Amino acid sequence: MKIRKIAKKDLDLFASVLPAFGRLYAPVPRGIGYAFDQPASWSEISLTYPRTMLPPRKFLLPPREALFAFDPKEGYRDLLAEAAEPQVLFGVHTYDIHGLNILDRVFAQGRYADPYYVTRRQHTAVIGIDFDPDAQHFARAMNTDFVDSGFDLFLSDIGADYLVRVGTSRGDDMVTMSGCLLSEPTPADIAQFKRRSGERHAAYRTEVDLGDLPEILEMEYHSDVWKELGDRCLSCGSCSMVCPTCYCFDVADDVDFGARSGRRIRAWDSCLFKTHALVAGGENFRKSRASRIMFRFYHKQRGFVAEYGRPSCVGCGRCIGACPAGIDIVSVIKMIRGQVDAD
Amino acid sequence: MSEEKTVLIIDDDPDFVRAVRFLFEAAGYAVATAPNGRDGLARAKTLRPDLILLDVMMQDRTEGFFTLEQIRDVPALQATPVIVISSIYTDHPVFRIGPGSGWLPADLFLPKPADPGRLMSEAARLMAPGYAGRSMAEKGSDLR
Repeated sequence: MKIRKIAKKDLDLFASVLPAFGRLYAPVPRGIGYAFDQPASWSEISLTYPRTMLPPRKFLLPPREALFAFDPKEGYRDLLAEAAEPQVLFGVHTYDIHGLNILDRVFAQGRYADPYYVTRRQHTAVIGIDFDPDAQHFARAMNTDFVDSGFDLFLSDIGADYLVRVGTSRGDDMVTMSGCLLSEPTPADIAQFKRRSGERHAAYRTEVDLGDLPEILEMEYHSDVWKELGDRCLSCGSCSMVCPTCYCFDVADDVDFGARSGRRIRAWDSCLFKTHALVAGGENFRKSRASRIMFRFYHKQRGFVAEYGRPSCVGCGRCIGACPAGIDIVSVIKMIRGQVDAD
Repeated sequence: MSEEKTVLIIDDDPDFVRAVRFLFEAAGYAVATAPNGRDGLARAKTLRPDLILLDVMMQDRTEGFFTLEQIRDVPALQATPVIVISSIYTDHPVFRIGPGSGWLPADLFLPKPADPGRLMSEAARLMAPGYAGRSMAEKGSDLR
C-alpha cells in the first residue's frame, strides 16, 4: 500500500480538485447534528465530527430509487445510468467504511449481485478519516476501529499533517493529480502514526464482549429480555434507518393513471415495521414487537456471523442515540449475558 | 455593441470590483456584483448573467472553486461562461494543479492582476453567439 502525507493546511486545496472525480459529499453541520452533504465551502466541512445522522449507505442504497420504467409503447427501460453518477465521499469514518464493506458482501458479492448497488459503488470514491471515539462509539469491540480496504484514500491525523494511505488506483490517481500537495512520509511521521493509532485504540470507553455471543443468543431464544424490549420498543424503525448495515427494502410499482405505465420503486424498509413480515392473505410472521426487535438483534449478531463470519453491527452507536425509547444495543447485549438487569 | 449583456462579478476585493465594473460599464455592459460565493450563487440564479467573473480566494481561500461547482449544479447556469480570475497560483505556489488539468469547470482562468485588454477581449469572445450557450461538454474536453 502506497503511503503519503499532506499538510493539514493544504487539505482545502486538495479537496478543491476532488470534484474532478465526482460530486463531493462531506460531513457538514445540519440541524442538530452532522450529515454527508454537498459543502458550500471548505470551512463548512467538519473533519472532527462525532458521527453523521445517517450513514453513507444512503449514497449506495438511496432511501427511494427508481429501478426501471415501463410503458406499453417503449417497453422496459432500466434507469442504471442514474446510478452511474460519479461521487466522492470525503471524511468517512472507519466503522462506516466497514459498513460499506458489509453491504458489498450482501449486494456486490455472491451469485446475485445487485446492478444498481454495484454501479453506484463503482462510481463512488471513498476518502476515509480517523476520529476520536466518544462514549457511544464501540467500534473497537466490533473490530471496526481500523480499516484496510474499502477506501480509495484514508487520512490519519499525525499532528500538523495527515498520513494518507492509498487504497486503490483511483486513490493513486487523486494523489498523482494533486501534484506536490502530497509527499513521502518520514520515519518520524510513521512513528507518530503508530503512537496516535495506539492512543485512539485506547480511548474507547464502551466495551462489548462478542466472544460467544452467537451461542448465548442461541440459548436465550426464549429469554424474557425480548418481551421486555418489545414492551419498550415503539417499532418506529429509527434504529434501522440510521444503521450503516441495515438494508431491508420494499419494492412497489408507482403506476401512472391507467395503470399501464410507471416505474418500479425500491425504498428503505425496516424489520421493526409491523407490515414488514405481512404477506398476502393477511398472515404476519412477526406480529409482536418483541418478535421484531428480537429478529433484528439475531440477524445482526447471530445470523450474520453464521453467514458472513462477523456481526453486521459496526459499533457506530447511531442506534443508541436514535432510539426514542432509550434501547441501547450495548445494554441489551449485557442483559442477554446476564451482566445487568433490564430497567 | 454589447447592450443587454450582463456581467456578474463575484469578488471580495472592492477595489478590483470597482475597476472591473468601470471597464465593463464603459464598454456598454450591465454589471452586477457579489462579495462572496454564497451571494454570488444566489445572484447568478436570479440574474442569469451572460458572463460570470469569479474570484477564488474570498472568505475561504478555495471559496471560488466550491462556488463554481455549485454554479454548474444549476441547470440554467451550466452553459454560462465563467472566467475565474485569481492569484491563487502565485499566492500558494505549492498548489501546482493547473487550471488546464481538466478539473476546473471554468471557461477560462486568468491570473490576477488581469490585463484589462485581454480580459475585455476574452469576455467579448465568451459572450459571442458562437460560444455562449454551449454546454460544457460542447465547449470541449479542455474545460473539464
